[in-house]
Amino acid sequence: MRFVSFRPATSVLAATALLLIANAPSQAQTRAETLRYVTGASVNTLDPNIPGSTRESFALSMSTYDRLVAFGRKQLNGKWVFDLDTITGELAESYDVSPDGLKLTFRLRKDAKFQDGSPVTAEDVKWSLDRCVTAPILGKAQLLTGSLTSADQFKVIDPLTIEVTLPKPDKLALPNLATVYPMIINSKVAKAHATPDDPWATAWLKEHTAGSGAYVVETFKPGEQVILKRDESWNRGSANKPAFFKRVIVQSVPEPATRANLVERGDADLVVDLQPSDVQSLEAKGKLKVISTPQYNAITYVSMNNQIPPFDNVNVRRAIAYALPYDDMFKAALFGRGAPLFGATWPDGKPLNGIYPFQQPVKMDLDKAREYLKAAGLPEGFSTTFSFNVGQSSTAEPMAALVKESLAKIGIKVDIQKLPDAQMSTQINEKKLPFFTEGIVAWLPSTDYFYRNFYTGNQRWNYSSINNPDLAAIAQEARFEPDKAKYEEAGRKLNAMHMDLMPQIMLWQPNQDAVMASSIEGYTYEFHRQVDYRDVSRK
Amino acid sequence: MMTGLGATVTRAGRRLLSSLPALFGVLVFTFLLMRVLPGDPAVFFASGPNAGKEEIEQIRKQMGLDKSVPEQLVFYLSDIGQGNLGRSMMTGQPVLKDLRERLPASLELTFTALLIALIAAVPLGVIAALRPGSVVDHGVRLFCALGVCVPTFVSGLLLIYVFYYLLGLAPDPTGRIDVFTSLPPQRTGFLLIDFLLAGDVEGWWTACKQLILPAVSMALFVIAPLARITRASMLVSLGSDFVRTARSVGLSWRKVVVTYALRNAILPVITIAGIVFSTMLGANVLVEKVFSWPGVASYALDALLSSDYAPVQGFVLLMASLFVLVNLVVDICYGIADPRVSIE
Repeated sequence: MRFVSFRPATSVLAATALLLIANAPSQAQTRAETLRYVTGASVNTLDPNIPGSTRESFALSMSTYDRLVAFGRKQLNGKWVFDLDTITGELAESYDVSPDGLKLTFRLRKDAKFQDGSPVTAEDVKWSLDRCVTAPILGKAQLLTGSLTSADQFKVIDPLTIEVTLPKPDKLALPNLATVYPMIINSKVAKAHATPDDPWATAWLKEHTAGSGAYVVETFKPGEQVILKRDESWNRGSANKPAFFKRVIVQSVPEPATRANLVERGDADLVVDLQPSDVQSLEAKGKLKVISTPQYNAITYVSMNNQIPPFDNVNVRRAIAYALPYDDMFKAALFGRGAPLFGATWPDGKPLNGIYPFQQPVKMDLDKAREYLKAAGLPEGFSTTFSFNVGQSSTAEPMAALVKESLAKIGIKVDIQKLPDAQMSTQINEKKLPFFTEGIVAWLPSTDYFYRNFYTGNQRWNYSSINNPDLAAIAQEARFEPDKAKYEEAGRKLNAMHMDLMPQIMLWQPNQDAVMASSIEGYTYEFHRQVDYRDVSRK
Repeated sequence: MMTGLGATVTRAGRRLLSSLPALFGVLVFTFLLMRVLPGDPAVFFASGPNAGKEEIEQIRKQMGLDKSVPEQLVFYLSDIGQGNLGRSMMTGQPVLKDLRERLPASLELTFTALLIALIAAVPLGVIAALRPGSVVDHGVRLFCALGVCVPTFVSGLLLIYVFYYLLGLAPDPTGRIDVFTSLPPQRTGFLLIDFLLAGDVEGWWTACKQLILPAVSMALFVIAPLARITRASMLVSLGSDFVRTARSVGLSWRKVVVTYALRNAILPVITIAGIVFSTMLGANVLVEKVFSWPGVASYALDALLSSDYAPVQGFVLLMASLFVLVNLVVDICYGIADPRVSIE
């Protein structure tokens, strides 16, 4: 007996000693040069174009692929945010817009190489853009918003020059090329994996990358983690050198409290999706850096279906708008972490400017609300349901309770409905919910874009199901309005209509709370609302 | 002995065959249930900032939802026949691959938790039964009550708070292994075994450390039923004639309690352990979430919330098959613990 138990023990010891010696140097090297980013979401595809891809997949693709152009960044109240108005070259060394705005010419960098070492050519760019507007993928609907709809619009002039023609001088054509979808793919590699059924290699690109981005995918475990390795030859960053971190670990940690613990203990470097309560306590402790940016391209609404009675009556909608306890909701749901879109004062009763979203001049005023109810012919109130989805319950649940309490005071009886996410989106799509809270986000936040996409048509994102031909016409016209003053005028008109019709109630723009180790620098709020790993570095 | 073993195997085989119709029923039932539930997965997954009707239709087609339900069922059954469980929209991977990668994680956690629970529960139950009504008995009862009262995610979060956040003894609670440790070559999928096979003791210890907290928080929850059942059946056993006889002929305490009383008392414990194991496998979703454990239960919950049909169906099928297997194992254990069971 003794012999048997003795021998394994010594061999175990010997093995341990050997391993310790072997592992020592490789372990010491990496921690400071590694970014460990934890998130509640997960990456489910390496090609963000695949229907069903997550926001985290969008962020990943920004680092694994390059685009022709990229958004610059600007400071907003002392915090770095993406800048829609500054568009810099990424794979393009320079670009020209013709005077009539119908022709965009891009000259590619001579030194740009794909991760397999082959040069990036105009052929690759054309193939990638063709794919985006032709294949049955997400890019199609996005590029449509920039008047990019057909492969004929992309023309190879020479191996390093590509020309994009537009049917109309669309302001959003160029910014669209900087969004997630029109990434530039190594067409030779992709074509080698295309099949007759799948000429655009969507199946293969879902699990493999063939790009020229700053990072190479080392391991990809869908739903768990992705590990990225720096591409040493990548030089599309600001200072003509590779990205800062040698390795990036993107790890899914579903429990928000655990994410907070990880970053507080210093085991994780960066997290952007903590609960507002955790952010507040971490900020109070002062050990970590907390950068809170109002998501200026996102809005949270209380929506009413303008086609379902009693919400088809404008006075009912106005009554609701004056009966919500905005300040309490803002505190209970977000701990005040965001930019409020209520409680403005319009001195002459007119919008202050033509920018959407804007602060509405509404605040809780129950007497006014009762008057509007009376005007609507419902002085006794009515019963309705208020819905929100499970995924948002941490903010929506306290909010719903306050809505219920406050509306009860003017005789409106509210039943709170908590719906699983898929069920909620289905019911919104089918226009069945009378009264609910939801949020929206726009990658290219301009006034006409918001009104066109969120206030017109019988489609999912028109939460309030408003159908107002005047509003639709003004927004449509503004899209191609080259004159800045006229555009501003159209914006003011739309905002005034919004206030008058009150199709839905804008509540706030929640903060993106990025919590990071104090050594992390360069964090920027991006249009896709995730972290661009290329932005950050360590002191 | 040989005939005993033979009888056990025949009985197991018969049980297996008779469970096939039940499995088929589960298959069809889950399929229909998923279709009846409100919520259209296509709408949910088409939630890019510009996804419109076209995208929704496309996803519907991709998931085969554009066909009628009976047609879908036929396709589904023929796919299952070919060993294809479909593709998950959530992870973008074939469900079979997802389950194969995640099942070992869940099993490893559940086995460890059950082992810890048994090691703690059986002695506790025996001690309580030996001195019924004493302080020890009440102490065990209190401990069990506490274990059941505290939900697993609360005990999990508490354990994390104390051992990771305050004391820093435990590694960060993020999955099966430290992100900076490289994985062993995959053989069984059970990290503890794979590391040993690869001879990587340090790696084994890392994986073991990650496993302790989640396993303990799961074990705490199931100690109670196991300890209570051990106590009850030990009481019966200790009061029976054969134990009195054994005592009266002056056999040693150890022989009386362990060999005679416990062996006879263990049958109900095995039954309960089997049931507890199956429930744990499905119900450890909270522990998996809290510890970011990449297991099958949290996978199924995520899929259910987003109405991702294929993974939910795959998961239910897997669980049903496991139930059948566990029952088989319990049957076989019966035969070993009490040879009389095999005689029909």
